[in-house]
Amino acid sequence: MSFDFSLIIDSIPKMLMGLGLTLQLLFISAVLGLALAVVLLLMRISRRWYLVWPSVTYIYIFRGTPILVQIFIIYYGLPQFEFIRDSILWPILREPFGCAILALSMNTGAYVSEILRGGILGVDRGLHEAGAALGLSVRQRFVYITSPIAIRLAIPAYSNDIISLMKSTALASTITLLDMMGIARTIVAETYAPYEIFISLAAIYMVLTWLAQKGFGRFEMRMSRYVKP
Amino acid sequence: MAALAGWWDDFFWGSVVVLQVFVTALILMVLFGLIGAAAKLSKNRVAQNLAAAYTVVFRGVPEILVLLLIYFGSAILLTSIAQIFDPSIKFVDLPPFWAGSFGIALIVGSYATETFRGAFLGVDRGLIEAARALGISNFKTFIYIQIPEMWRLALPAFGNHMLSLIKDTALISIIGLNETMFVAQQATGTTGKPFTMYIVVGGIYLAFSTVITLTVMVLEKYANQHLEPAR
Repeated sequence: MSFDFSLIIDSIPKMLMGLGLTLQLLFISAVLGLALAVVLLLMRISRRWYLVWPSVTYIYIFRGTPILVQIFIIYYGLPQFEFIRDSILWPILREPFGCAILALSMNTGAYVSEILRGGILGVDRGLHEAGAALGLSVRQRFVYITSPIAIRLAIPAYSNDIISLMKSTALASTITLLDMMGIARTIVAETYAPYEIFISLAAIYMVLTWLAQKGFGRFEMRMSRYVKP
Repeated sequence: MAALAGWWDDFFWGSVVVLQVFVTALILMVLFGLIGAAAKLSKNRVAQNLAAAYTVVFRGVPEILVLLLIYFGSAILLTSIAQIFDPSIKFVDLPPFWAGSFGIALIVGSYATETFRGAFLGVDRGLIEAARALGISNFKTFIYIQIPEMWRLALPAFGNHMLSLIKDTALISIIGLNETMFVAQQATGTTGKPFTMYIVVGGIYLAFSTVITLTVMVLEKYANQHLEPAR
């Protein structure tokens, strides 16, 4: 057993070929997940039981089961049904890429929705009451008072969730996608050099994590610029 | 549902494996978290840096990558060691159970490090000074004063770590542990009903998560009972 540096130098460019796919999975799921999270959040805070209940159930199920199980249910499970294979969604659900995006966005949507709710709960009630006293409507209060503060409060937790979403994209390799993780597993299967390949891949992921943290740190500074002196 | 007949016992034993991994990893996770927190809070520069590196690495790298690295890495290491003694040996590996428990405990332990660190910092310094003034030893202060005070503060985040732990056990099927995911794969092979099988796995995990959530709720109530107003 020895550490083969030339293998690392050869394999890093190969793994970086999967970076595009990893980032696609990350960005598309993050955007769709955020949209889903906002819908779930609005249902959750609507105080109408027929909207609150579906949202609570959805969040409970998707946060209570492993993402790997969700990916497998969507990719391997759904084609069991005839009506899904006949539906117009089949071109998406047939492809592992579409299934990975669907699973990742549905999963992250549940988590982000709770994060946003945490942000909203953190907004001082007094501000809300002040808005009401000034004659702002419920919608105006939500858009102009609650949301900007809630977004600022939610950024640290949201940045953690984006990082765990990025880590979850590696699971797309289990349904045959060749993202960075998938390529690394192929190389390891050929060369049988897990240390060299997996450690260099870990370094790549850590750079991505670091970049995400820096980026969100900047964003948080910008959003809090009226708070700090 | 008819497809499930004959598979219930396999799913049951799969769930037992999940539970075994969970308990093993939970013990290791608390251990890693406490060691990490102690290192971060210590005055020793080397220990601080090692703990910082530990948390940065394991929080920034995908779980599946850690598991594959530990499993295949240890297999190569063990095989090369075994070949020194007996060149005819082709392959030795850590059992997936231990590689997996160790792996997810390391991952979640890196999060627990931060939780425990924060909780220890949340313990009132006055209590520790009072203990010192009373001549109580450092070790006894840690066991009888710091631990009982900090676990209450750590509990909400610790509940989330337990949930991560139970969900991460599903990943160990990738390195070949015969838990529920693995059972579902086999069952799909013979019955051709993947949706049914994976939904059962989802249901099992949902049940585990629910039990953990309820347990943490009860524990939180117990931990904070002295703070509740008198009735």
